[in-house]
Amino acid sequence: MTRPLTRRELLERAALGGAALSLPAFLAACGGGNGIEGTATTTAAGTTTGGSKTLADTLTISNWTLYIDIDEETKKYPTLEQFTAETGVAVDYIEDVNDNDEWFGKNQAALSKGQAIGRDITVLTDWMAARMVRLGYVEKLDKEAIPNASNLVSALASPGWDPNREYSLPWQSGLTGIGYDPERVGGEITSISQLLEDPKLKGKVTFLTEMPDTMGLMILDGGGDPSTVAKADFDRAIERLQAGVDSGQIRQFTGNDYSGMLAKGDIWAAVGWSGDMVQLTADNPNLKFVIPDAGGMIWTDNMLIPTGGDVFTASTFMNFVYDPKVAAQIEAYVNFICPVDGAAEEIKAIDASLADNTLIFPDEATLAKVKIFDAEAADDNAYKQQFQAVIGA
Amino acid sequence: MGWLHRHRGLVPYLLLAPGLAWLALFFVVPTYYLANTSLQTGSLDAGYAFTWAWDNYADAISTYHEQFVRSLQYAGIATVAAFLVSYPLAYFIAFRGGRWKGVLLLLIIAPFFVTYLIRTLAWQTILSDSGFVVNALQTVGLLGDGDRLLATSTAVIAGITYNFLPFMALPLYVSLEQIDGRLIEAAEDLYASKVKAFLRVTLPLSLPGVFAGTLLTFIPAAGDFINAELLGTPRQSMIGNVIQSKFLVLTDYGQAAALSFTLMAAILVLIAIYTKVLGTERMGV
Amino acid sequence: MTFARRHVLTAYALLAFGYLMLPIAVVIAFSFNDPLGRFNFTWQGFTLQHWENPFGPPGLRDAIVASLQIAALASLVATILGTLVALALVRYGFRGRGLTNLLIFMPMTTPEIVMGASLLALFLNVGVATGFWTIFIAHVMFDISFVVVTVKARLAGFDRHLEEAAMDLGANPFTTFARVTLPLIAPGVAAGALLAFALSVDDFVITLFNAGSTITFPLYVWGAARVGVPPQVNVIGTMIFLVAAGLMLASVLVQTRRPKGTS
Repeated sequence: MTRPLTRRELLERAALGGAALSLPAFLAACGGGNGIEGTATTTAAGTTTGGSKTLADTLTISNWTLYIDIDEETKKYPTLEQFTAETGVAVDYIEDVNDNDEWFGKNQAALSKGQAIGRDITVLTDWMAARMVRLGYVEKLDKEAIPNASNLVSALASPGWDPNREYSLPWQSGLTGIGYDPERVGGEITSISQLLEDPKLKGKVTFLTEMPDTMGLMILDGGGDPSTVAKADFDRAIERLQAGVDSGQIRQFTGNDYSGMLAKGDIWAAVGWSGDMVQLTADNPNLKFVIPDAGGMIWTDNMLIPTGGDVFTASTFMNFVYDPKVAAQIEAYVNFICPVDGAAEEIKAIDASLADNTLIFPDEATLAKVKIFDAEAADDNAYKQQFQAVIGA
Repeated sequence: MGWLHRHRGLVPYLLLAPGLAWLALFFVVPTYYLANTSLQTGSLDAGYAFTWAWDNYADAISTYHEQFVRSLQYAGIATVAAFLVSYPLAYFIAFRGGRWKGVLLLLIIAPFFVTYLIRTLAWQTILSDSGFVVNALQTVGLLGDGDRLLATSTAVIAGITYNFLPFMALPLYVSLEQIDGRLIEAAEDLYASKVKAFLRVTLPLSLPGVFAGTLLTFIPAAGDFINAELLGTPRQSMIGNVIQSKFLVLTDYGQAAALSFTLMAAILVLIAIYTKVLGTERMGV
Repeated sequence: MTFARRHVLTAYALLAFGYLMLPIAVVIAFSFNDPLGRFNFTWQGFTLQHWENPFGPPGLRDAIVASLQIAALASLVATILGTLVALALVRYGFRGRGLTNLLIFMPMTTPEIVMGASLLALFLNVGVATGFWTIFIAHVMFDISFVVVTVKARLAGFDRHLEEAAMDLGANPFTTFARVTLPLIAPGVAAGALLAFALSVDDFVITLFNAGSTITFPLYVWGAARVGVPPQVNVIGTMIFLVAAGLMLASVLVQTRRPKGTS
C-alpha cells in the first residue's frame, strides 16, 4: 500500500495532548495482554440468524467518509481488495453515512416495515446503534465466524446497550474535547467553564449540535457523570448552556464546520473532535486539542448488520478487519482510535511514529479522563427536546 | 387536424394532463400521506398511530410562532433585496445584452454548479471576521470594532438572498426581454423623462416577471433552513430548522408534518392575497 | 446626460455580476490551494496538482456524472411538461383553474425534508427501488412548478395578435405554435429550463431521501465536508461552469445573424 508522504509529516507535526507514549501504557490502558486471548465469547452457541454458512457474492457496506484506507493514486481500497482476494467476495463500499439522524431518517421507513435496505454492514455511533438494537432493526452477528472479536479492546467490550457484543463491533472511536488557538486565546484552556465564562472569549466559542458531545462535556464540567445521566445534572447544564446562548458568549452550534471557523480565526475555541484537529494542525501547528480537566467524551462508531443483511458474509468481514495486521493498515490511514488490540504493535511496521500518536492509541491517562455518554439518555426525547430548544430548533 | 378542431374544448385538458398527472402521482399522493401523518402521535419505540391529533397543529403554532414569523420576515426581506439587485441586472441583459444574453444568463446560475455548501463556505471566507469585507466596513464605520457579519441575522438574510438571486433574475429577464423597445422610445418621443418612461411603460409591462420572480424567491426562502444553520445563531432559527429537527432528530413525524402544513397554508394565503392585489389577468393566473 | 445614465446601468450590472461571482472567485482561487491536511480553509500555497488530477478522489467523477445526467433529463422533461401546463393556464378557460394553480404552487411551499420523506414512503409502499430514476422522478416533480411560473410570465405579456395574424394567413394551430408562438416564448422556456437545471444539480435534501445508493454531487460534497472537502471539488465546479460558458460563447460566435422576433 502506498502512502502519501504528507501524512507522515503531518502526524509528526501534530502537537496534540502531550502525554508521552509507552507501549506498555497503551496495552495496559486497552487492558489486553498481547492480543489473542481466549475468552469465552468466541464460541457463542447457535446465535446466527438464518444459519447460512456460505459467502455471498457481494458485500455491501455503508460507512462514513474517509473511514477506510484508500490508495489515492489508484483510487482503490487496499483492505477491501485484500478481503476480496482472500474470500472471493466483491465489496460494494458506499460512503453514504454523513450523520446518524440523517441516515436513520432516510432508512427508517423501510426498517420499520422489516424490509431490507440493501446493506450488509452499516456503521453508526453508539447511541444510534443502541437505538437500532433496541428497535430490532439489526441482525445478530455470527460470532462463530468472528474469532478475532476477542481482539476487541476490553474498554469497549461491554457497552450497556449490547453487553455481549451480539449485534455490533466497534469500527473506530474518537474523542470529543476542546480545540483552540492558544495564541488568540492568550493562554491555555482547561475547562468548559472557561469557554462559558471568560469574557475575552465572548462570541468566539462554538459548541456541537450533537447532544451527547456537548451535554457530555457540560455535565462533566458541572461535576456530574454523563455515563449515567441524572436529570438534575442535565437541567443545570441546559441552563448554563442557554445562558451562554442568550449572552452571546456562544457564537454558534455547529456540525464539523467549526473547523473552518477555527482555521480562519473566527472562533478561538470549539468543542470538537480529535480527528478534525489532526487535520487542522497540519495547516496550523499552533492549534491544540485538549481533554478538559473535568473530563471529555469518547464515542465509538460501530459495525451493525441491518435487517436483511447477509449475516455470515458480514461477520466474515468483521473478522477480517479485527486481525491486528489489517486493523493497523486501516488505522494508518484513518487516524482515529483503534478498537483492536495488537494493532499498535503491527502499525510500527507501517509507520513507527503512528504508534506514538496518542490520538490514535491513547495512553492510560487520557482514557481515564473520558466517558461514554449514557446511550439511553442520548435517545430520550425529553432530553433531546430540551437540547434542541437551546440550539434553536 | 379535424379531430383537434372539433374537440377544441379538450385542448387545455390535453395540455395539462401530462404535467398534472406527474404532480398528482408524485406530489399529491405523498402529500396525502403527509397529511395523514400530521394527525398521528407516537414515538419510535411505541409506534405511531392515527389519532386525529389536531393538537399537533395547535402546539405547532403556539410553540413556534416566533420562528414562523421570523421565516416570513427573512424571506420577505431577502425577496426585496433580491429584487433590487436583480432588476437592473435583468434589465441590462434584456436591453443591452445583445448576442451575449445566453452567456450572461448562464453566469447567473453559475453558482449552482458548485453546490450550496461550497458557496456558503466561500461566503464564510469572504465575510470572515478578519476578512477584507469586515475590515472595510469597520474602516468606514458601518460596523463596530468588535462586531462581526457572520453568525448574525444579516448573514442569514444575505445568504438567502444570494441563494435565490437566479430565481428572481431569470423571470424578470424573461418579462423584460419581451418588451418592445419602440414603446419606450415612443414614450420618450412624447416628452416623458427616462424615469417616467420606465415607471409608466417598462415597469408595468414587466409586472408578470416581477410577480413570477417574487413568488419563486419568497416561497422556497420561507422554508429554507440551511442558511440559518450555517450562518446564524439559535436566535435566527427559522421554521425550516424546527421542521428539520422535529423530523430527523426528535423523530416526531406528526409535529413535523403539522408544522409543514401550517407553513404551506401560510404561504398559500399570502400568495392568494398577493395575486389579488396585483391583478390576476395580467399575471396569466 | 444620456451617456451618464447609460453607464450607470452598466456599472450597476457589473457590480451585480461581481457580487454574484464573488464566491465563485473564492472557489476558483481555492482550487489552486495546496493544503497540508484534508481541510481546504486557509491558503497554504499554490499548486496545479488538483487541476492535473481532478477526478482523484474516488466517487467524485461518478457523482458529478450522475448529477449532470439527472439534471439534464429532469430539466428537459420538466420544461416540456411545465410549458404545456403554462400554455393551458394562460390561453384557455377551463374548469379547475384554481385547483391547477394550487397544485402548481404547493410543491414550492412544501419543506424539502417532508417532501423527500413522503416521496420515499410512496416508493417503498409501491415497491420501487430507490436510485437514479427515483431521483429523476423527484426532480421533475419539483421542477415543473418553477417552469410553469417562469413560462407564464412570458406568456402573460405575449401579443396574441401575432398568432391571429398567422392563422388569418392560413396557418393551422400546430404550424402557428411551432413557427410563431414557440420562438417568441423561447426565452421564457429557456429560462425555465435553466432554473430547472440549476435546481436539480444543486438539490440535496429530497435527493438524499430518494437516492438509494446513487451518490450525486451535492451528496458527495456533504459527505466529504465531514472530513474535508478535497480541492478537486472546487476544480470540478469551476470546470463545469467553464465548459458551459465556453459552449455558450461558441454558440454566440458561430450564430449567423437572424432578425429577431418583436424587439
